[in-house]
Amino acid sequence: MRLGMVIDLKRCMGCYGCQMSCKAEHGTPPGVFFARVLKREEGHYPMPRRILLPVLCNHCSDAPCVDVCPTEASHFAEHGIVDIDKDKCVGCRACMMACPYNNRYFHDERRHYFGDAGPTPYEEARSERHPVGVVMKCNWCRERLAEGKDPACVANCAAKARTFGDLEDPNSEVSRLIKERSGFNLHPEAGTGPNVYYLAP
Amino acid sequence: MSDYRYEQLIEDLRGDYRPQREWGEGKGILMVIGHFLVGVAGGTWVMSSIYGETYGLMVAYLLGALGALVHLLFLGRPERAIKMMRHVRTSWISRGFVGLSLFLAGGGAYLAMLWLSPGQEGAPVMLARLVAGVGTITIIGYMGFCYTASKAIPFWHSPLHPAIYIAFAVRGGIAVLLVIAAATGTQSGAWLLQLWTGVTAVVALLFAFEIHGALSSGNIAAKWSVRDMLSGRLALSFYGGTLALGLIVPAVLLSASMSPSPVVMALIGIASAGGDFFMKLSTVKAGVYLPLLLPSRR
Repeated sequence: MRLGMVIDLKRCMGCYGCQMSCKAEHGTPPGVFFARVLKREEGHYPMPRRILLPVLCNHCSDAPCVDVCPTEASHFAEHGIVDIDKDKCVGCRACMMACPYNNRYFHDERRHYFGDAGPTPYEEARSERHPVGVVMKCNWCRERLAEGKDPACVANCAAKARTFGDLEDPNSEVSRLIKERSGFNLHPEAGTGPNVYYLAP
Repeated sequence: MSDYRYEQLIEDLRGDYRPQREWGEGKGILMVIGHFLVGVAGGTWVMSSIYGETYGLMVAYLLGALGALVHLLFLGRPERAIKMMRHVRTSWISRGFVGLSLFLAGGGAYLAMLWLSPGQEGAPVMLARLVAGVGTITIIGYMGFCYTASKAIPFWHSPLHPAIYIAFAVRGGIAVLLVIAAATGTQSGAWLLQLWTGVTAVVALLFAFEIHGALSSGNIAAKWSVRDMLSGRLALSFYGGTLALGLIVPAVLLSASMSPSPVVMALIGIASAGGDFFMKLSTVKAGVYLPLLLPSRR
């Protein structure tokens, strides 16, 4: 089984629901976005077009972040998920320089959303899982997957722009969408075998 | 993360061309200093071994030890550094860590034997020299490959980068020997200056090829990096540090006198090493992430 995601750019309306649900699920500190939505423009006057581009870790099959990690902290977990073992990471940040999708963040200092007011009870509860001095990234909500749920960004996408499933199963919804609508990757030239596909807007 | 760094990160994430700031800014400057010191240490060890310059070996060892310390200070979790030996199969950082350990172990043993019984040649001395030699070659080479392995930064992702770092290490070694020669009078200054001129020409040529390659066949991010370095946020560091300090000042000093005095030789060495540091700082800080854009054909 090789897990993958398909993002339908025609459906995405840029509500940031994925970004916020990811933050809520993982309790990531300020400045860390496992899931983001980029706003880009294409074309020229008089036919410009705004593109909404949700991005996240592509969980590449040939992940350069895994290759460059000196401690094997970045590793392949079950079903092709690329994850970081926080207890092994030394914070050298080589993986950040290797990821063509720049979706890794270095947690250099504990910081709270309300500054001097200190952490909220929610932040206190969630910040325990994010040690300082290590790199952080999306892990496709492994805890949720273990419970049989979809990743938070998929479950909470109001427009149902995200589909998650097994790329090796030719009958899965993700395989069908990629085949029928010519799914494409970002930066295929990097040769990393990304497992996030996009459907044209 | 300070408020300033947080605001800067948010601004960077909004832009098309996100500069990398983890290596080269804030605490990340330690990474550049560490690479500079280790590179010069490797070059100095090589040059000193060739010319039998014991003071040079000692300086190389001290620079290597200092470089290792600075590297450790850069890490987010330095107490786990020993784990960096795990992944030598694919990670250049891991190889560099092993190389630096060999250099410090072998070099330390060799210098200790040299100090305890000068002139002695035996199996332990040879072994120590061999271990230090393997470590030296590794530390000279690994840095460039670390950058080349960075697929996110097209400007660094160039096959010329390792060659440039190796050439800069040799130039750094000659610069240190110039300073030592000026202080001790033990080396032929004229020969070292000729060598410095030749290696500097190679360095300049390689650097020019890399810039040309980025501009002619690099992608949009590589071109953005070159623009940042030549006419953008890093122009002062590049022109003032790399070119003026590292090239023009030594060239003027060199051409001003036919047989340079020890003071001039030392100044050339210091300026050259200073220029090398700014070259590393400029190229590291010029790194811009590959922008996330939809492919034009889809």
